[in-house]
Amino acid sequence: MLEIRDVRVNYGNDTVLNGVDLALDAGETLAIIGESGTGKTTLGLSIMRLTEGTVKGSINLDGKDITALSEKEMQQIRWNRVAMVFQNVNNVLNPVHTVLDQVSEPIVEHKLNSKDEARRKARELLSYFGLPQNRFSAYPHELSGGEQQRVLLAMALSNDPGLLILDEPLSSLDGTTREELGDLLRQIDKKRAQLIITHDFDTASRLSDRIAVLYGGRIVETGPTQEVLRCPRHPYTRALVRAYPNMTTVKDLQGIKGRMTRPVSGCPFHPRCTQAIDICSREMPQLVRTEGRGVACHRGGIITLLSTVNLSKSFDLIKAVDSVSLHIEAGEILALVGQSGSGKTTFAKMIIGLYPPSGGSLYFDGKPIVRRGKDFYRRVQMIFQNPGESLSHRLSVLESVMEPLEIQSIGDPEQRKNKAIQTIEEVELPRTDDFLKKYPHHLSGGEMQRVAIARALVVDPDLLIADEPTSFLDASVGAKILKLLLNLQEHRGLSMIYITHDIAAARKVSDRIAVMLEGRIIEVGASNEIVAAPRQDYTKRLFNSASILSRIEYL
Amino acid sequence: MIKRQNLVTYVIALIFILALSFFLPRMMPGDPLMAIYGDEALIAMTPELKAQLVERFALEQPLWDQFGAYFLALFQGDLGYSYYYNAPVLKVILGSLPWTLLIVGTSLIISTFLGIILGIESGWRRGSKTDRTMLTGLMSLNGFPDFFLGMVLLIIFGVILGICPLAGALTPYSGLSGLPLVLDVLKHMALPVAALTLAHLAGSYLLTRNTMISVLKAPFMLTARAKGLSQNVLKYRHAGRNSMLPVVTMTGIWMGRVVIGALFVELVFAYPGVGQLTYQALLCRDYPIIQGVFLIVTISVLLANFAVDLLYPQLDPRVIHAY
Amino acid sequence: MHIDLKKEIKQSNFARTGIIILVSMIAVAILAPVLSRYDPTQQTAASLLAPSLSHWLGTNHVGQDIWSQLLYGARISLLVGFSVGILSLILSIFFGLSAAIIGGLYGRIVMRIVDALIIIPMVIAVILVAAYVRPNVLVLILLLSLLSWQGGARVIRAQALALKEEGHVKASATFGAGRFYIARKHILPELTPILLVEFIYGVRRAVFVEAGLAFLGICDPMLISWGTMMHDAMRFTYLNVWQWWLVPAGVALSLTIIGLTFISHAAESVLDPRLRGEAVA
Repeated sequence: MLEIRDVRVNYGNDTVLNGVDLALDAGETLAIIGESGTGKTTLGLSIMRLTEGTVKGSINLDGKDITALSEKEMQQIRWNRVAMVFQNVNNVLNPVHTVLDQVSEPIVEHKLNSKDEARRKARELLSYFGLPQNRFSAYPHELSGGEQQRVLLAMALSNDPGLLILDEPLSSLDGTTREELGDLLRQIDKKRAQLIITHDFDTASRLSDRIAVLYGGRIVETGPTQEVLRCPRHPYTRALVRAYPNMTTVKDLQGIKGRMTRPVSGCPFHPRCTQAIDICSREMPQLVRTEGRGVACHRGGIITLLSTVNLSKSFDLIKAVDSVSLHIEAGEILALVGQSGSGKTTFAKMIIGLYPPSGGSLYFDGKPIVRRGKDFYRRVQMIFQNPGESLSHRLSVLESVMEPLEIQSIGDPEQRKNKAIQTIEEVELPRTDDFLKKYPHHLSGGEMQRVAIARALVVDPDLLIADEPTSFLDASVGAKILKLLLNLQEHRGLSMIYITHDIAAARKVSDRIAVMLEGRIIEVGASNEIVAAPRQDYTKRLFNSASILSRIEYL
Repeated sequence: MIKRQNLVTYVIALIFILALSFFLPRMMPGDPLMAIYGDEALIAMTPELKAQLVERFALEQPLWDQFGAYFLALFQGDLGYSYYYNAPVLKVILGSLPWTLLIVGTSLIISTFLGIILGIESGWRRGSKTDRTMLTGLMSLNGFPDFFLGMVLLIIFGVILGICPLAGALTPYSGLSGLPLVLDVLKHMALPVAALTLAHLAGSYLLTRNTMISVLKAPFMLTARAKGLSQNVLKYRHAGRNSMLPVVTMTGIWMGRVVIGALFVELVFAYPGVGQLTYQALLCRDYPIIQGVFLIVTISVLLANFAVDLLYPQLDPRVIHAY
Repeated sequence: MHIDLKKEIKQSNFARTGIIILVSMIAVAILAPVLSRYDPTQQTAASLLAPSLSHWLGTNHVGQDIWSQLLYGARISLLVGFSVGILSLILSIFFGLSAAIIGGLYGRIVMRIVDALIIIPMVIAVILVAAYVRPNVLVLILLLSLLSWQGGARVIRAQALALKEEGHVKASATFGAGRFYIARKHILPELTPILLVEFIYGVRRAVFVEAGLAFLGICDPMLISWGTMMHDAMRFTYLNVWQWWLVPAGVALSLTIIGLTFISHAAESVLDPRLRGEAVA
């Protein structure tokens, strides 16, 4: 019933919407998710032709293009065919008229009913949305925020519009009111199409069937709400989910690097995207739909960086790694959890090429790994357990960090030095000459591990394999290393295989967890799902024996 | 934000007024009776009358008693006696008051109403040619003092065009009644009312226009537009209703200005209201009349202000709580 | 908020027009002896003469030259206007600022009195006083000032109270600054735009009231001002003399007031953030 094609909206020189396509049928609820400044409110206003900007493209309501209509004709359409529930701010309702008057006003003005009939209908609507009778003749400033929201909802339905646009309908409400009104909105759903504009995933999750993610004036992802939230395909959507405090995910919050800007050309997200390539800065990706889901990304969404198929390793008769099939996406942290001897380190070493596999195959960036040349090592790096051993005691800090650059012949000595120093700063170590000249035995455990990380990062790899990076460190130091790794992921978009025996730590750091036992992967999935409902007994035992701080029984 | 007065303020104002009117004559050098009645009136009085008045106003007593006597007299509606009109002051003033009220009331209503409408239309079209023209025009109009405007109108419509009468509130000795009487009154008050209205139009216009400009930016205006309401409904029921509130508040304060303006205008049109009365009294030093006018005018303005204060909450529901 | 008042006003058409008018009037007043030939108080010819080369605007009912009267009249109107404006402003600042800074019981009492005095119409009070005390220019100025400072005091107090809460003021308090230091160095300078507006209002009102009182015949009849000219001319409206007697005086008076109105409107538009961005006429 609503079809939007290639809508562009400008305010003077500012492009707010840059080619938006949407479709909505009767009875459907679509949520538009976007942070502030993405143009979502403008989208809503454009459908009602209420923006101050210039609108190009076509907006079809019930088959009729409303962009061409005159103001007088629009006045007929507004509220009768499409109505909007505005954000519940101060003064969104006229302070000198009662709420009953304001709800019945559009009915009367559009000549749908007599004044008395209109008032009766208004009363019905207000009651439906739970406004107490004695508040009907109140003035807006006399109502609480929740009551005012009810009035806004009732008012929007007064002329029975086919399309309802709701701008942050639940954001100003507290828990119980949110639930109540959310349920009411789902019930009226059946007859109408609803467009929900929000920045809040909870609202979207509660109210909508489908979701469209808006960034930089374009739709970057669409699909069924629950699927998209559970398994986002666009880097922005994934980053947004990671940044959103909620009761579902368990990993620490992460931001998105950079700020929202409007790049002149190419994909609007590319300055902040951690898997951007050349074409991303030149051409605008189109929204490609497959099986009910759509992604606008030159790389087709989040790419798979590394995958193993039935990878195995045997030492004589012992199968250390038994037919392991795992994959790691770009920008993802996969925790490989298992006890000592489970084969996790062997697995890691096979990936990095220290052991040749006995069976199975490895794919990197879609291509099978046959031979690992310098280019491979530029993209995959490893951090070992014991920094005291992994750092040469004959090389100073600076020399250690510069080593991979020399091996890879990247840049001239001056540039290598600068890059090394830059990376040393990135891992939060001092860049003073004194420090750079120090040798590993002068450093603390934490400092040594940071140097090792810097060394691994200096070539700007895509995948980092961290083998128990904190097991040799004190807890407080280890915590900082873990936070550092998370920051690096946020900033660089690194993928990481985080190998650990500690499932509690894995929970805080990873997007996905793979549980390894005796060389086999017995369970793998999203961290929050594994934590909430582990299926295998072994996994459950791991959780049970994991560190618990408080032994108070909460009843 | 206009502050609203409360009762205490009015009481203090009242005290000031009474104090001024009481102390002024008594602080003048010389015989207080002369100050109260004027030397010319005094000449006409007999010694017995003088003694009587001295007694009545307790002029030989200490100040406190005098004030008591004064206040008592006021309470009884005794504002003194005018020798020139040979009648109690109150009666004389009440004779002229209705005419002043007629032109003040009419022009106040018209200028407020017209000012609000023009202000709404101007604010709605802010920045357009219409708006700028109205703004310049009304501000210029505002610069003309009411008496000058009155004189100009008198000359144009009275002397040159001869449409309107030159003086008075009624055609003298006409003996009209009923409808012709009403028409006669209207003919005579047309120019004075016009002068007053034009002079004070700008006040309500500017205030409404300015309020309109900020009201149009409020969120509820977008809500109203979204409801598909017509332009007029948006302009008047939504924006206008909010924009007229400050004008109503100010009406009380502006009333004083219009009353003063009426004094001047009556002079120009020889209109038999309180202004004309005052002028004549000033010419012949009829102090009781001047005193009486002062008291009645200021107290009326006070009461009018008070009435507006009471009325305002009816119009602006947000204020009900503040009271 | 940093507003460059001078720059903004220069850009406004209203302000420019107003300033031009005002400056012209002041120039006329100052240059009166140069621009006119006769002493306005002396009888220089027969009464009620029409305009001629020797008397550009003719003569009035006593034979005085109207053109000279017009020019010298500017002096009185402007003198009274500006004097009352300044004096009234000083009183407003004194009472308004002190009420805000000192606050407490003093502040409340002052504001009560101010609120009460505002309601009383100024002109009537002056009429009452003038009936007893025939005012000369000085007394008139004093009287008008005493009755017109209240409005400004209210505005200044409100503004000063708001400023008192601002960050930089509170900061200087933490440096140990006393109340009067703060008033002098932080608050007063911030008030400058408001003070300017109040001043212009004051002058405008004073010019208006002085003319009105002169028109009523309250002032010294020896004093020639536009108001007295109109008062005298009023009695002769049935003759043709109004064209060159009444109208010039009235127009001069109105122009002056219009000029002041324009300036104050422009200043107000600049100060009120809601009105900014106005398509300045």
